[in-house]
Amino acid sequence: MESAINEYISRELVSNPELLPLENDSPLLLSGILDSLSVLKLVLFFHQRFGIIVAPDDVLPEHFETIEAICKYLRTQHQVQGVQG
Amino acid sequence: MSSRRFRASKARALHSRGARIWGPALGLLLVLPLKLVTHVPSDQKLSQGRVKRENRPNRQSPLGFERIMLRILGPFYRLVIVPLVAFLPASLAYRVACLQGDLRYRLDRSKREEIMRCLESVFGDRLSLPEQTRVTRDFFRLQSCAPVDVTRLAGKGRALTRLVEIRGREHLEAALAAGKGAILCSAHFGSFNCAMSLIGASGFPITVIGRWASNTVDNSRSPIGRLLSRLVFQKTIARYRRRPNIEPLGQIELAFEVATILRQNELIGVAIDAPLRLSGDRARGVTVDFLKGQALLLPGATSIAQLTKAPVLMMLLHRSADWRHQVLEISPPISMEGDALTAFKRCLAVVETAILQNPAHWTFWNFSDLVALGLLPEEALNSGK
Repeated sequence: MESAINEYISRELVSNPELLPLENDSPLLLSGILDSLSVLKLVLFFHQRFGIIVAPDDVLPEHFETIEAICKYLRTQHQVQGVQG
Repeated sequence: MSSRRFRASKARALHSRGARIWGPALGLLLVLPLKLVTHVPSDQKLSQGRVKRENRPNRQSPLGFERIMLRILGPFYRLVIVPLVAFLPASLAYRVACLQGDLRYRLDRSKREEIMRCLESVFGDRLSLPEQTRVTRDFFRLQSCAPVDVTRLAGKGRALTRLVEIRGREHLEAALAAGKGAILCSAHFGSFNCAMSLIGASGFPITVIGRWASNTVDNSRSPIGRLLSRLVFQKTIARYRRRPNIEPLGQIELAFEVATILRQNELIGVAIDAPLRLSGDRARGVTVDFLKGQALLLPGATSIAQLTKAPVLMMLLHRSADWRHQVLEISPPISMEGDALTAFKRCLAVVETAILQNPAHWTFWNFSDLVALGLLPEEALNSGK
């Protein structure tokens, strides 16, 4: 999951090549890699790639701070939505 | 007829009779002093350019007098005159608004000159001095008509809706029939805030992306000014919107929130010509050809449209020559072919055409906004041009 997300962010969302390569603990919000639009793109990517639907109330900075934080949130959601599904 | 209905009918009749009798009388009382205080410049005088201050007779200290008048006039007009005249017959209400605009045009010399310099910077020789003068006077008139529009939105809003013809409603209905919501792109053009609310008053669920003027982020209003703006202005126009405005302040959930609203098959309204004042916005802004210059703007509306497949329609509110009637024009969907920036340029071209045709309708004829847009150099703020 980490590598897939890292690859997507590096390919689609990083406009400044100096920020590459991304580490899993690289700050995504503080470095300006993620903004409102790129978070929306990411959420659509999660749905397409992993089948995980992000709830509106879950779009919080702490879930998108780093790739590690994103994966932690997605794993929780995978379990929750898997149980519900 | 029940007693309650009878009372209501009687009240309406009295109100109507009162409006017939007292309306013109009150209007006259309000207009006459304005007429006496102002010398409304005729079109012929306007065409000769600005009336020279030193040629005016009986003015011992015009600067002091004008300064005091300007300080008093704005709040007095909005808080006293507008509520008094807004529900009079429209011709009278907007006549008073135009007189107020003329008065401000006459008194507010620095603002008047600022607008004319801005017009000159953008239009160059393509707008002659008489035309610049006319546009400037019309700008002041339009700014004075806007509070009347807002006040007429009170209640069920019929006092305003019956003066506004909505063209292209079918485009909006067709766009929503597809079930993906729609983005209504507009500009700070005419009574743009009322335009968004008029869509809501027509039965369309609309949420607007935009910071209120009372927001402390990018304005220099006093706390009292902000409070009054919130109570008098904001409250009225917000009533017709489905949700509170989404105020862009760099929050990461904004685009997602917009996408969620569109998924519910609702409308999102956004003005695409807003100057970028927050450093985060400026960092993400893109430079596009606009008004014969290079403007820094955010193409977020078209980016979201492409991501959500929601159609984008343009919407502009034009005031007619009689000043009281308006036309709210909604375009067919704009092509979203190409990347977000290309699609954004198509939307911006519609705005640009409208501004070039009716420059007085655009609200950003001031140094601060034109510098923030990138249409004037930073030095304009210091040098006054």
